[in-house]
Amino acid sequence: MHQINVGEDLRERNREIAAENHEMLRRHGVFSLNIMSAPGAGKTSLLVKSIPLLKDKYRIGVIEGDLQTTRDAERVGALGIEVHQIQTGGVCHLDAAMVHSALHQLDLDLLDILLIENVGNLVCPAEFDLGVDARVMLLSITEGDDKPKKYPLMFTESRLLILNKVDLIEMVDFDIARARREAMDINPRIEIIELSCRSGAGIEEWTGWIEKLYSESGVE
Amino acid sequence: MHEVSVMSNLLEIVTATADREGAGTIDVIHLRIGEMAGINFDSLEFAFEILSKGTKAEGGRLEYERVALMGRCSACSSEFHPEDLVFRCPECGSGGVEISAGREMEVDYILLDEEGS
Repeated sequence: MHQINVGEDLRERNREIAAENHEMLRRHGVFSLNIMSAPGAGKTSLLVKSIPLLKDKYRIGVIEGDLQTTRDAERVGALGIEVHQIQTGGVCHLDAAMVHSALHQLDLDLLDILLIENVGNLVCPAEFDLGVDARVMLLSITEGDDKPKKYPLMFTESRLLILNKVDLIEMVDFDIARARREAMDINPRIEIIELSCRSGAGIEEWTGWIEKLYSESGVE
Repeated sequence: MHEVSVMSNLLEIVTATADREGAGTIDVIHLRIGEMAGINFDSLEFAFEILSKGTKAEGGRLEYERVALMGRCSACSSEFHPEDLVFRCPECGSGGVEISAGREMEVDYILLDEEGS
């Protein structure tokens, strides 16, 4: 028996493809976000509420990641923008290779902003870089304020945390101050927006955040 | 269950290494897994049992060591273990902390049987 030192990261192949995705998006002048959350936190509703505020100024494209069905793509596609559906067929996250194939099926020259809605899952998507400019996560207040310390990785990886469903605050035992504090323990640089897709509160703060990052990113 | 995708990648790496070394079988695969890596070893082992069938790693042993979570302050360079996942420098209070260890998910080494085909 002999020992061979390998020293290879198991995410390396994904990282290489993610870097290709990033380069490809930049070459076509596309700014991109990876939107992650547990199932039912409101990712699709967020897109449906905010794209109408952006689409007159920017050309928006969406990649929808789902285990099964094209329901989300149909909801978003009704807004009259370009949508590509990835059905992972049971895989619990999007990886860089899946997004890479999708990028080849979109006409990137016709886009300014690409929003990627990941598969609903608070764990796995955090380990897979897709090559986007920034990652955004949603936590709905019906999920509980203990989630940052229970699922820290996604908070580490996200630049923005959206606390959704804040219109329900009177009905649930969710301590917003605690969730904010614990998210910032894990990632002191994380930005936080409180929002309700149902009432519309905070939606403009979110679209303003996208516009700010878009202009800072230097894509043309 | 992204452990299945991780495992297919792992098997590609180790079987390619075994082929290059001209080994017949892979007896041990030793991993380094960070405290904060989003991976579960039991699920990984389960995926290994299934996916290694018919490869040079079939019948081999998967083992791992945990790598402790460490933060490094970008302001004062001190290294520390973030207690209770608080990524704020205990020396200078800065929030500019990078994870310096604890995200590992890597094949450290493998043990090969030279009496191979």
